[in-house]
Amino acid sequence: MNWKRNSFKIGAVIWLVGLRAAFAGPSDDFKSANQLYDAGRFAEAAAIYEKIEPKTAHVYYNLGNAHFREGKLGRAILDYERARQLAPRDPDIVANLKFAEQRLGVDDVNAPPHAWQKYLRSIIESRRSTEWGIYELAALWLTALAVGVCLYIPRARTGLLAIAAAAFVGFAACAFALGHEVLGDRTAPAAVVVAGETEARFAPVPDSTTHFKLSEGTRVVIREDRGQWVFVERADGQQGWAKSDAVERVVPQS
Amino acid sequence: MRLWLVIGLLLAAPRVFADVSVVASVDRNHVVFGESVTLTIAVQGTQSGAQPSIPRVDGLGFDGPSTQSSFSLNNGQMSQSISFVYQVTPARTGEFTIPAIAVNVGGRSYSTEPIRLVVEKGLAQNDAGQELFADIRAPSRRMYPGQTEPVQVVLFSRTDVPLRGVGGFSYDADGLEFKFLQNLKTGTLVTNGESFNVHVIEGSISPSRTGTLSLGPCILKAQLTVRRQGGSGWPFDDMFGRVEVREVPVTVDAVPIEVLPLPEEGRPADFGGAIGQWKLDVTAKPTDIAVGDPITVTIKISGNGNIDTVPMPKLGPLDGFKTYDPTTKTTKDDLNTTGERVMQQVLIAKSTDVKELPEVRLAYFDPEARAYKTAVQTPIKLVVKAGTGGQTTIVSGGGRLRPDEKLGQDIVYLKGDLGPAAPGVPFCGSATFWALNVTPVLALLGTVGWKRRTDRLRGDVAYARRTRAAKKARKLLTSATSYDEIQRALQHYLGDRLNIPVGGITASVIDERLVPRGVDGELADRARACFDACDTARFAGGGAGMSVQATRDNVERLIDELETKQL
Repeated sequence: MNWKRNSFKIGAVIWLVGLRAAFAGPSDDFKSANQLYDAGRFAEAAAIYEKIEPKTAHVYYNLGNAHFREGKLGRAILDYERARQLAPRDPDIVANLKFAEQRLGVDDVNAPPHAWQKYLRSIIESRRSTEWGIYELAALWLTALAVGVCLYIPRARTGLLAIAAAAFVGFAACAFALGHEVLGDRTAPAAVVVAGETEARFAPVPDSTTHFKLSEGTRVVIREDRGQWVFVERADGQQGWAKSDAVERVVPQS
Repeated sequence: MRLWLVIGLLLAAPRVFADVSVVASVDRNHVVFGESVTLTIAVQGTQSGAQPSIPRVDGLGFDGPSTQSSFSLNNGQMSQSISFVYQVTPARTGEFTIPAIAVNVGGRSYSTEPIRLVVEKGLAQNDAGQELFADIRAPSRRMYPGQTEPVQVVLFSRTDVPLRGVGGFSYDADGLEFKFLQNLKTGTLVTNGESFNVHVIEGSISPSRTGTLSLGPCILKAQLTVRRQGGSGWPFDDMFGRVEVREVPVTVDAVPIEVLPLPEEGRPADFGGAIGQWKLDVTAKPTDIAVGDPITVTIKISGNGNIDTVPMPKLGPLDGFKTYDPTTKTTKDDLNTTGERVMQQVLIAKSTDVKELPEVRLAYFDPEARAYKTAVQTPIKLVVKAGTGGQTTIVSGGGRLRPDEKLGQDIVYLKGDLGPAAPGVPFCGSATFWALNVTPVLALLGTVGWKRRTDRLRGDVAYARRTRAAKKARKLLTSATSYDEIQRALQHYLGDRLNIPVGGITASVIDERLVPRGVDGELADRARACFDACDTARFAGGGAGMSVQATRDNVERLIDELETKQL
């Protein structure tokens, strides 16, 4: 009887130790990096945050803070953007991203030129692609269900068709947002200028004419990648060739 | 309404006079003898009652004034000004000082700052006699390494010379970094009493070594329009190609620039190479804080000269503060003759013992004064109260701000936990996502098809019989144990397929209905054989040589094959 009770206790302890060992790595690194940050050793903290895998929104956020304190504001904006992709409605991430952009003076250049574009972008970026996908599926199923039921209950035809129409509009809107996020990432991936200041040129050659200057922290989309040069587009639509090592993609290349 | 407006203006009047300011400026401080300078005395805050009294200056003549006034009302804030514009003509070369000019406004006297004016020697008489010539205008012929000074290369053409523009510009400037703007300025200039059209190349020079250096000679390619033979002299000649452009080289002699080494005498220990006239401005916000609160210190250096030579002064010692790396932003004009550098640094006071920010100093060499100077920002007083203990987290937004309260701004503090893990595989690209998308569409299509089918089965008897014919016949065949039942099953099948009454179906239906509908001879023969076998067995006994089982199998095959036919 005693042996049975003890074996149960030993088994429970082994299970708990194993569980802790399985989850100890990233969490311990995260805490030690936070302690280094508090001690003002921002570069060391950033190096540890960089090593943590898989990276969560909180890891990217803390990494952005460490880069901010190091004075690498462009890289901090990149990290906040990455964090925001994983947790778009986290107010801390949004606040720090905005603050870093204001500190570098790129908040205006990173915003679309028209108010409606800003509004549309804020709506699309307020949800992750997975969330848009779930909404789109829900709207599609509701549309199909309403139309299907409408066939068998003619008395409720008007109400069901109204529901189906509303659900279809919702489906189209969600599909648009989802397409913008997923296809946008694939065809024109977002990137951030991490170099101090770089130039966008008319051609992908070093001595070609400079079209405009890209400040650190400027958000761009990459329209074409030619190895050492990338063809980038700023939020205001200006396009030019920039050195590929001056910009870094928000979604890291696998 | 009008009464209120008048009362408002009367009430605002004393305040308007209280905000009066007077500023005098000239359009340029260096001028060539023979040219005039525009002196503007701007009185901000009033439009009436002001009258400058111009003092007498030996060697300078003042013409005017012409007045310009402006008034604006923006967000309830009234703004008005009046400007007095004079043309100042020097009577000789040399250095002049326009003294402080008194302006009386509303019974009070205001005064402007004195203005320095340098009048250089004008063009040589032989140049003035030419139709097309050029000149280099360098305000300072004595410079120091690293100093940047503006220069102008001016192409003069008499007003009757058909000068179209400048086609090219080459120069010699050994030991001098010569920058110039691609866009030329054009205008008219009266010099030595004669009017000229001018094309001005604006540039700047910066010596890289000491000694006597030369700016020039320079060659400008003046583009003259010349009328071809046959041209009428009308303005339309240009349009019809009756004029051509010829380039005429115009040479400017070299101008000697004496470059002196920076003097050792009086050089401050903290001199870092800054040359020019620089102004230092340091601000700290907020200055009333609690321990742990951040202070943003902004150091701004602006002025004339090459901003690249100016090092950023360091804040120090900062023993009582936790410091963060500063950020620096530099802006300058295209010729690098004026610039501004702004450094922002975040500090956090560690204790209430901190009373002030340390002094900030910038040592620089002023080439005009030929002396070292030091701009000093005296220590900024701080009020540091006891904080809440740890490093505070400063967030923007949230809560209602009191009107007289300014909150500090900084990034929000760290997250304490790893947070939810990001999905390994994106859901939206997965097979599950696409399956979930396709399923409702297929289900809806299936439902619509099923509904249409059931509706037709219910309303179309021929379709219902035709559809169910094979199933019904097979069911009868399965339970058939005699030739009679087999024949009935066949009759049911053909009756349902052809939508005719079952009772009247005999072998004749094959020739009357099946053959005309495309059933070929072999299949028709087998159908007849089935009927014959059943009839023979029913009336004569036996099955025409076929057993019940064989007959049933034949009928089943017959039904299978007829199912493939469109009857």
